[in-house]
Amino acid sequence: MKIVVLGSTGYIGMRLIEALKATSWAEATGASRTKPDHAQEGVNWLEVNTCDAAALTRALKGFDAVVNCVAGDRRSIAEGARTLAEAAAAARCPRIIHMSTMSVYGDLEGLVSEDMQPGPQLGWYGKAKREAENSMAGFVKTGGEVVMLRPGCVFGPGSELWVGRTARWLRSGRLGDLGVAGDGWSNLVHIDDVCQAVLASLRLEVVSGMIPVFNLAAPDSPRWNEYFVGLAVGIGATPVRRISARQIRLDSLIAGAPLKIAERLLNDMGKRHVRLPEPMPPGLVRLWAQQIRLDSGPAAQSLGMVWTSYPDALQSSVGWFSRKDRPNEPVVGETTCTP
Amino acid sequence: MIDDATHIQHGACLHTDVCIVGAGPAGIALALDLSERGLSVMLLESGHLDLDAKTQALYEGEVADERMHSPPDKYRHRRLGGSSAIWGGRCMPMDPIDFESRNYVADSGWPISYTDLLPYYPQANTLAEAGRFSYDASEALGANVAPMIRGFNSTQIRTTGLERFSCPTHFGTRYSKRLQLAPGVQVWLGANCIRLALHADGRSLQAAEFATLSGNRFSVSARATVLATGGIETARLMLASNDISPAGVGNLHDVVGRYYMCHIAGNVGTLSLKGPTSNVLHGYEVAPEGIYCRRRLSVTADEQRRRGLANAVARLHFPRITDPSHRNGVLSGLFLARKLISYEYGKRLNDGDAASLRTYTRHLLNVVTDPLDTSAFLTHWLTKRTLADRKFPSVILRNRTNRFSLEMHGEQTPSASSRVTLSDKVDVLGMPKVRVDWRYSLADIESLRRTLDLIAQEFEVSGTGRFEYQRETLEQDLTRFGAYGGHHIGTARMGHDIRSSVVNTDCQVHTVHNLFVAGSAVFPTSSQANPTLTLIALALRLGDTLSRRLDPRQISRTEKAVA
Repeated sequence: MKIVVLGSTGYIGMRLIEALKATSWAEATGASRTKPDHAQEGVNWLEVNTCDAAALTRALKGFDAVVNCVAGDRRSIAEGARTLAEAAAAARCPRIIHMSTMSVYGDLEGLVSEDMQPGPQLGWYGKAKREAENSMAGFVKTGGEVVMLRPGCVFGPGSELWVGRTARWLRSGRLGDLGVAGDGWSNLVHIDDVCQAVLASLRLEVVSGMIPVFNLAAPDSPRWNEYFVGLAVGIGATPVRRISARQIRLDSLIAGAPLKIAERLLNDMGKRHVRLPEPMPPGLVRLWAQQIRLDSGPAAQSLGMVWTSYPDALQSSVGWFSRKDRPNEPVVGETTCTP
Repeated sequence: MIDDATHIQHGACLHTDVCIVGAGPAGIALALDLSERGLSVMLLESGHLDLDAKTQALYEGEVADERMHSPPDKYRHRRLGGSSAIWGGRCMPMDPIDFESRNYVADSGWPISYTDLLPYYPQANTLAEAGRFSYDASEALGANVAPMIRGFNSTQIRTTGLERFSCPTHFGTRYSKRLQLAPGVQVWLGANCIRLALHADGRSLQAAEFATLSGNRFSVSARATVLATGGIETARLMLASNDISPAGVGNLHDVVGRYYMCHIAGNVGTLSLKGPTSNVLHGYEVAPEGIYCRRRLSVTADEQRRRGLANAVARLHFPRITDPSHRNGVLSGLFLARKLISYEYGKRLNDGDAASLRTYTRHLLNVVTDPLDTSAFLTHWLTKRTLADRKFPSVILRNRTNRFSLEMHGEQTPSASSRVTLSDKVDVLGMPKVRVDWRYSLADIESLRRTLDLIAQEFEVSGTGRFEYQRETLEQDLTRFGAYGGHHIGTARMGHDIRSSVVNTDCQVHTVHNLFVAGSAVFPTSSQANPTLTLIALALRLGDTLSRRLDPRQISRTEKAVA
């Protein structure tokens, strides 16, 4: 099966290429705007702008499936997906595995199944991802097949967002046990499990005209506080601090905007090496308190998921961060990937 | 869902799998646990999130001796979260020996063992936000941790035991959102249980009846009803529901309300330790997960059995606050400010004797002449307690002299004559008020005397220090403030024998197959441990029991652990 992965330079895309390479049945091609220097040897690579319909159509020709892992701003996500749907149809690429997100549920709380409509508060990211999902419906109408995955917070070794950045906040004492403000479910899902889900989705039998949608979150993923304390203890950022809801809000609202602006200014000035404390996005602070729990039963049933246990996932994440424990903090890419 | 019971239709009878009366730590832990198991739950709480004077007044009652026991409306809060709104947060499990039948402690012995309860303690620890279930210093704080008292080695006195501290977590504010979202859970506020209505044969509960202060009345009929109303109120409800069973529900053999226990507590003597002050860890340490912990002295289980001692712990404490001869500005400051401190926390700053002008002056002098310590203390208190979410648990003074008193906290012997009964007076809802007659025995004092003697002996033998106390004033020192605050234990004790207990090993009232008790009321003995952690663990165990009884497909947490 010939598969092209759009957004191959991202965290999920890179690991997915490795996972596909390890199979006997998949022939993987990476795709991104520009081929990165660290692209793996032996992996075919396409340089393509996913918002350019003609180029994308040309690129998709001859592939059996495309996996959409494109992240970025609103335009890249929403317009990119619309372009992809059109291009895949034009190129007669039969199947799209579309990587969506739990953010499409907005501020819903409680146990959330795939058929639920979003809550009243839907941020820009969730809106863009909803738009992208709607574009997939258009592709199905033209006879294509789509499997949609809605992962929670994808973590594991290499995860800058959910391991690296979180660990640095814990180290600096800005994050810890948040009490009620960290009582939300983390919906963490190990990167290997996401890859496993994509592999299963590529071979899933799909009823014509239907879009199977699957939440992805490890059933034993804990509440955020447990994750923060476990990660902090694991990396030795102890004793873990108890941070009040008031303090975390202040950090996010008062320090957040100036830090973000300063970070952009420094980037514009070409001084990316100057390290500032990482801003704490208000949306993230809201997420930590949001008691949304993804129901991943259908994924287990239809995709045959064998989830990485939380203790194993935590241990491997701690191991990765501890090995990488470097003096120079990494640059988080310009594209953000909230869940 | 959380709603006000005034919204329930007057006269309605609601139906659910499990009705829980009382939303304190036990009720909340149980409701959340049962929700995860797919059972429908109604959790009915008398109060609201904020304290309401009219609701709190429903707790008023009498005490037989005001010097021996606080008024029943103190140390208890009638609100969502119950008395966790005002608790100190001290957590520790009971010891295995507490569950044993000991011939030297009359009426001791639980019908379950420590290992029966052990699977539930870690989750209880988590709910109490007390970190890992780890109560040994080297395991909890790291293998290289310093000893409590350098050079003190004893095979009879243990110094590696720990107590851990909750935030202290107010279960109402901490878990209200979880309750609101928990599938199948309905929380009704302002719902005061006024009667347990038995079927005519007295063998099962028909419904629990409720009233709001605004006059709304309704009942809840459940497959199982759980009283999670604390050691005093549980007895009150059972005794007051006396229309079918004249002596009250589950009280065929006159056991309900009896064997009421608290703890024997007080500051005793002077421990003078040799060597530098850095040899002694007398205050709080912080576990890696950020939990305040404190060491304690206790007699090993073997030695308790050999010497016939009841369980007890001793903490290194500062001198008696009320006596200005300590010359400590912080302590004198606390004494002078005691009227600004709540009843529950100020009680032990006032030993009953009216302070003279001379005493006040000396305390004031202590504050004035010790400005550095006083201001350092105030700064620490402000930042680490007043403004902190996880609060520094108590006043700890800098160790300047290696001299301490021992703060004792001891088990008391169960006694049928120590009891909660109903008084002739009724509250605004027509419920008889309680009368609390707490009693201790000389055996309790004698056991602590021998414990102190053993501690003194072991310090002498080890050559690390000297402990001395006034033998003739020991009873007074241990009972100066009466029963220890909010530990209301044992009015519906657990046992096999219906003639000497109220509930069976499942916490089910012996004679009523669908009525259960959660909370410290069921403890047959009081242990050295503060009761909250154990009562949460027991509530979680009851969750297992109920889920198996009401849905046989469920497997228990212990079975899961084995699997």
